[in-house]
Amino acid sequence: MERLRARDSVAFEHLYDAYHRLVFGIALRMLNDTTMAEDLTQSVFLKIWKSPDAFRDGNFGAWLARVTRNGALDVLRSRASRATAEIPSDIATEGSIDEIVFAKIDSQRVRSALAALPDEQRSPIEMGFFGGITHEEIARRTGIPLGTVKTRIRSGLRRLRGDLQSTVSR
Amino acid sequence: MDLVAAYALGVLPAREHALVTAYILANPAARAEFEALRPTADLIGLSAEEPVDSARSARMKQRLMTTVRQQAASPVGATGSGRTAGARSSWFVGAGLAAAAAVLFALVSTIQNFSLRGELANANSRAAALQSQIAQNERVRTRDREMIADLTAPDAQRYPVPEGEVVKHGSHLYLTLHSLPPLPRGKVYQAWTIAKGTKNLAPSIVFTPSPAGAAIVALPENADTLSVVALSVEPEGGSKVPTSKATFVRPLS
Repeated sequence: MERLRARDSVAFEHLYDAYHRLVFGIALRMLNDTTMAEDLTQSVFLKIWKSPDAFRDGNFGAWLARVTRNGALDVLRSRASRATAEIPSDIATEGSIDEIVFAKIDSQRVRSALAALPDEQRSPIEMGFFGGITHEEIARRTGIPLGTVKTRIRSGLRRLRGDLQSTVSR
Repeated sequence: MDLVAAYALGVLPAREHALVTAYILANPAARAEFEALRPTADLIGLSAEEPVDSARSARMKQRLMTTVRQQAASPVGATGSGRTAGARSSWFVGAGLAAAAAVLFALVSTIQNFSLRGELANANSRAAALQSQIAQNERVRTRDREMIADLTAPDAQRYPVPEGEVVKHGSHLYLTLHSLPPLPRGKVYQAWTIAKGTKNLAPSIVFTPSPAGAAIVALPENADTLSVVALSVEPEGGSKVPTSKATFVRPLS
């Protein structure tokens, strides 16, 4: 990040090489359109180039995933009159214990932890995160009562947190 | 707490977002739950990392780095461009073709360059539209953050009404309502204000609450100039004068 702040385009190229699969993967999964996913990838990396100070602490990949998801939600909002979920951008968690603990977690560990969740918990979490839809829309699409969806999201996130914490402490 | 988890995952509808934000800011237990779940929710995105085919990866990188090098205005950019041009040029020279072939090649290259430039222009145009959309949404988020700061400010003045409260902070005025009766079809809620030193009821903003009867509404008027806020049910589009009995009338004193 120091090199990016110094406008080092070679450092930026290395950053792109390391993370473009993540950004494009999220964009494609959410937008389901390769051209738009490419555009969003371009937009996300340009944003980092222009504002390298936007990232402070924690897991850079997770932060980048949030930036990409926010961008994809913006695209989904502009693309259709569908009800999209709101992103919690008002309350910062940088510096929280979990931010520090999870700083080095990689995609493989997250994939494994997600795969270990029961389907009934993983499904609404992934639908919400990657589908960019609200808990109400998840309930409507799955036919599961809204209260149950909310409970499953919470218990799924708590279990995921516990599993990830245990992989870090191993 | 289930709503806090939904908030951390980012699956709350817009109409509940500000309410839950205010709840988290005001409630230490909710804040702790949010701080526990938000980093986990952020990590979920990492699971989407997928291999990108090399042609696409190279194309995206070239497009991005072209823009970045132009913006960096550093020797790196000149070196990169030179390398590309040089590669093409050496390939051509190495072929040892006659001058006529060179002219033909130049013509084909020019046509291809026009086509590539067109594609690049289209891509940049789409990216510019996307940036504009993102900037617009950023402005909305900034406005929301400002509203939440007003609503949770310790020095905000709060005027209770049966359905919630009227909140004044500085020159800003909000209605934070949580138990509004359902609206008949074709009707909306409309706010009304009376300016200090007058008795005239002036029409203000119209809105529709959530199905649960909740709404947070920022009034456009300068709160310092007002003495009374009222609410009534009106036809869609609002009215110039109230056409129904007031839901509440609240003096700001």
